[in-house]
Amino acid sequence: MAAGVAAWLPFARAAAIGWMPVASTPMPIPPQDKRKAQDGLIILNVSGTKFQTWRTTLERYPDTLLGSTERDFFFHEETSEYFFDRDPDIFRHILNFYRTGKLHYPRQECISAYDEELAFFGIIPEIIGDCCYEEYKDRRRENAERLQDDEEMDMNNDVAPVNLTFREYLWRAFENPHTSTLALVFYYVTGFFIAISVMANVVETVPCGTLPNRSKEVSCGDRYALAFFCLDTACVMIFTVEYLLRLIAAPSRCKFMKSVMSVIDVVAIMPYYIGLVMTDNDQVSGAFVTLRVFRVFRIFKFSRHSAGLRILGYTLKSCASELGFLLFSLTMAIIIFATVMFYAEKGSTATKFTSIPAAFWYTIVTMTTLGYGDMVPKTIVGKVFGSICSLSGVLVIALPVPVIVSNFSRIYHQSQRAEKRRAQRKTRLARIRAAKIRGTNAYMRYKQNGLLIDALEEVTAPRQALVGKSASPPFESQHHHLLHCLEKTTVRINHEFVDEQTFQANCMEISVVNKSGSRTSSLSSSPHGLSSCCSRRHRKKSSFSLPSTNNQELSTIQIRERPVSNSRSSLNAKLDETVPLKCDEAYISPSMVRLSAPVATSSDDASTATTTYSQSNIVRVSAL
Amino acid sequence: MGLVMGTFSLQSKPVTYHKDKADDDLEMTIVCHRPEGLDQLEAQTNFSKRELQVLYRGFKNECPSGVVNEETFKQIYSQFFPHGDASTYAHYLFNAFDTGNTGSIKFEDFVTALSILLRGSVTEKLQWTFNLYDINRDGYINKEEMTDIVRAIYDMMGKYTYPVLKTDAPKQHVDAFFQKMDKNRDGVVTLDEFILSCQEDENIMRSLQLFENVI
Repeated sequence: MAAGVAAWLPFARAAAIGWMPVASTPMPIPPQDKRKAQDGLIILNVSGTKFQTWRTTLERYPDTLLGSTERDFFFHEETSEYFFDRDPDIFRHILNFYRTGKLHYPRQECISAYDEELAFFGIIPEIIGDCCYEEYKDRRRENAERLQDDEEMDMNNDVAPVNLTFREYLWRAFENPHTSTLALVFYYVTGFFIAISVMANVVETVPCGTLPNRSKEVSCGDRYALAFFCLDTACVMIFTVEYLLRLIAAPSRCKFMKSVMSVIDVVAIMPYYIGLVMTDNDQVSGAFVTLRVFRVFRIFKFSRHSAGLRILGYTLKSCASELGFLLFSLTMAIIIFATVMFYAEKGSTATKFTSIPAAFWYTIVTMTTLGYGDMVPKTIVGKVFGSICSLSGVLVIALPVPVIVSNFSRIYHQSQRAEKRRAQRKTRLARIRAAKIRGTNAYMRYKQNGLLIDALEEVTAPRQALVGKSASPPFESQHHHLLHCLEKTTVRINHEFVDEQTFQANCMEISVVNKSGSRTSSLSSSPHGLSSCCSRRHRKKSSFSLPSTNNQELSTIQIRERPVSNSRSSLNAKLDETVPLKCDEAYISPSMVRLSAPVATSSDDASTATTTYSQSNIVRVSAL
Repeated sequence: MGLVMGTFSLQSKPVTYHKDKADDDLEMTIVCHRPEGLDQLEAQTNFSKRELQVLYRGFKNECPSGVVNEETFKQIYSQFFPHGDASTYAHYLFNAFDTGNTGSIKFEDFVTALSILLRGSVTEKLQWTFNLYDINRDGYINKEEMTDIVRAIYDMMGKYTYPVLKTDAPKQHVDAFFQKMDKNRDGVVTLDEFILSCQEDENIMRSLQLFENVI
């Protein structure tokens, strides 16, 4: 029921007296209004801006926050008003909804901020009035598309898990050439060969001078037939290999074979094979010549290489209805004008307008303002109608074109935005990571302060000392204390959180651990985070975005490596046996965490195989 | 060519004509009615000032122009009975509220009727109900009028009831009603017969007090 008419409920109930004499059975007992609250003013303080309204206004919509008892949670007793820590500008619209029954969407507000406010106050967006609903839906769809783009980008750029099958790896290489240098090389090579093939097709037909014993000019294709044939063969072989590889790698072969690009690929290479089969048969050589036309479709293979071509194709597809309308209206106009011109010119002598279909050519040429001049009307009536024809042609063509243009512009800008976002993502993520690293460093300092105090003072008043020493806000100190507790929980041997550089240094051992086949549960739970550091050098990606959890796992593995100090020798031996590190030296940045008073580390005497390992300061194994 | 231009210009004229008509309609709907003063209404009805304030605020919110016409009235009333069709009963209600037969309900009419229904004496309530049933205002309720009313009430229930309503349920209801109310068996029910019969029936008496605390 539309709650807006809740105000009329008393009237409807009163009018029910009209049924009473007719009723044959007694009526049920009415509900008791326990809260016989007087209608009073309510003050709503939203971040300092005070709104006032009647209580009954709010209670019109009892299934929202303000209309139900949920608002009691926000009652501020000292000032006897309801305080909400939300945006007052958007609240204005929400309150107007209670007053007028219509929810409006302000165009200048961000759509997600608005959605959040609606969700907070328990109002479903579907009741936005018709005046604003379209705009709201459009903005929402745009936003969703943008987020989806981001997610897709995420998925595409995701670091490859180690356990990709060869087929999946191949498919990824084809779809995103940027994932590996081999794919990139292949991508450029195919592009080059497409260009070569198209140019060869073109140059084949250029006249190349006369042969010594013939007087006719021959085309280059006939003169250097063998050379062109070899070139064609090479190109077709490359294309065939590419097509077959794609076919093998495709996750769904049927779907792949039905896709547009694969059809283009097939059409590009088929003429060659058909030509091979058919060369000796003279009758079908005519058809064979026609088939060579299809070789020009190789140019469409460029659409894999060019985003602009894809956008154009996508635009044409999405404007199909406008193009259809254009075609239809043009056809109508052509038929009308051709008929008129034919009958107008019928009388004149030696006229070119021999039939209505012949007049079609004149009409098309005139409507598109080409005006070749091979057919011109001679009678006055014909000239009059000819001029009307050219004027109307301009109009008819000019009408659907802006629609197509605006479609193209929208799609193009969308793809531009996607590109920009992709580029900005990297810097954004880098900055976010830098902030997180600062957090981890702060934690190190906290612990160091704590340990100093623990080590140097009696246990009697560690907490007060900590509080006294730390200059961080209460949230931070409580957070650090929490992390510290976590460390202490994962006993028997204490783990530690470390910062990124040391984590990187240690991921060398992780790869070693990986290769040597030891597995821990935590390893398998986030394999990509660990393997990524070595395989994806140039990408500092989200695998590092949660240093704390990764480090947790790191520490677990660490412990595997270094169980207790006395078994270190055996550990070293194990390290010696394993495969030497393949990772780049450049990444091994053993920065010392800035601990001014490192307690005795037990890691200094590391094995020779892992020099970096020795410098890592992960360990204060026994000190804690 | 002149012909073409002529036809174009001819076509444009009716368009402007329509636009003028639309403007006229728009002007007509911006009619405002203000009720009499609060004190007067308080004197005329059985409501207190506060109650009148609340009532008027609700009324004015839904009908900013100050009057309710039949369409709006039917719409509002139908919102409470989504299962069935409340328009017929709303039509009878509208006529009962609109005592002056002006085609629209002003706030005074609204409040007067509510005053009777909620704060009036038993006799007044029964009189109002009789007025509601007496569709043609001739002072008698005959079988056709009663059948109309009962059918309108049954329409409000809608089709999806359990158990399914029988098609002659209204008729049976009307027969039972006349059995009870028509004392002298002359086929019509007068006001006195009506009041008398209702006062004898305890159920009806009790149900009339049901909605006393609505405001």
